[in-house]
Amino acid sequence: MPTLEGGLRIDAEDDGDWQLLSGITRDAVSCDEKLSLRLGSFITDIAVIPDWLEYIVPELEETFHEHLAHLVAAISAARFEAAGGPGPLWITREDGFHWYSALNQARLALEERFVFGPSDLIDPAELPLAKRSAYLRSQFYCGIQSLLLEYVMR
Amino acid sequence: MGKSDTLTKTREATSLDVPWNVVVHDDPVNLMAYVTYVLMKVFGYDEKKAAILMMQVHQEGRSIVWNGRREKAEFYVHQLQSHQLKTSLEKAE
Repeated sequence: MPTLEGGLRIDAEDDGDWQLLSGITRDAVSCDEKLSLRLGSFITDIAVIPDWLEYIVPELEETFHEHLAHLVAAISAARFEAAGGPGPLWITREDGFHWYSALNQARLALEERFVFGPSDLIDPAELPLAKRSAYLRSQFYCGIQSLLLEYVMR
Repeated sequence: MGKSDTLTKTREATSLDVPWNVVVHDDPVNLMAYVTYVLMKVFGYDEKKAAILMMQVHQEGRSIVWNGRREKAEFYVHQLQSHQLKTSLEKAE
């Protein structure tokens, strides 16, 4: 739900909701090959690759890790405050990009592992259980991203 | 040895002068509105130009979003990848 201060509020109803939110960071690091390397998979010029590997990849890794750590801290604090029961999770305008980044890391990792393809061609009912669960999580993350783009980041 | 050094330096200096393309590649995850947002944020493009480039990525699989000196191109690749867009760098033809 959008807030008057330009952020979002997510209302967790029970421990299942907190577990679902905590799953964002688990999904984000679930792919064997690091995102920092996957993002440059189209770099083929041998004049560029050594510099890219030496300077850019480590910085990307650090940046992505910071965004995930930010999310872990925010979710843990809110979950603790709510004692694992009903309670709000606030996303401020300043936190918006960290959240978007973490959710994107999760979706990119799930896509890499399960290869969903374009969402308009997918019927979740026809997917095997693990892939269906991953797809539904990805869609949930995508829904939050859309709200972030519409209400927080623009 | 001295001659070889000169040749190497000349080749490096020449390669630095060649314009480089920054290319964004399509992927099934990044939202179209987000790609437009990132192009506006990183390059300062207006929304119309950013949306045209985003549509080119979406429809053609890739788009040259910037062209110029290698150092600046590397900077932009870093920026785009830190926003999780699949990006590459190539010599302009």
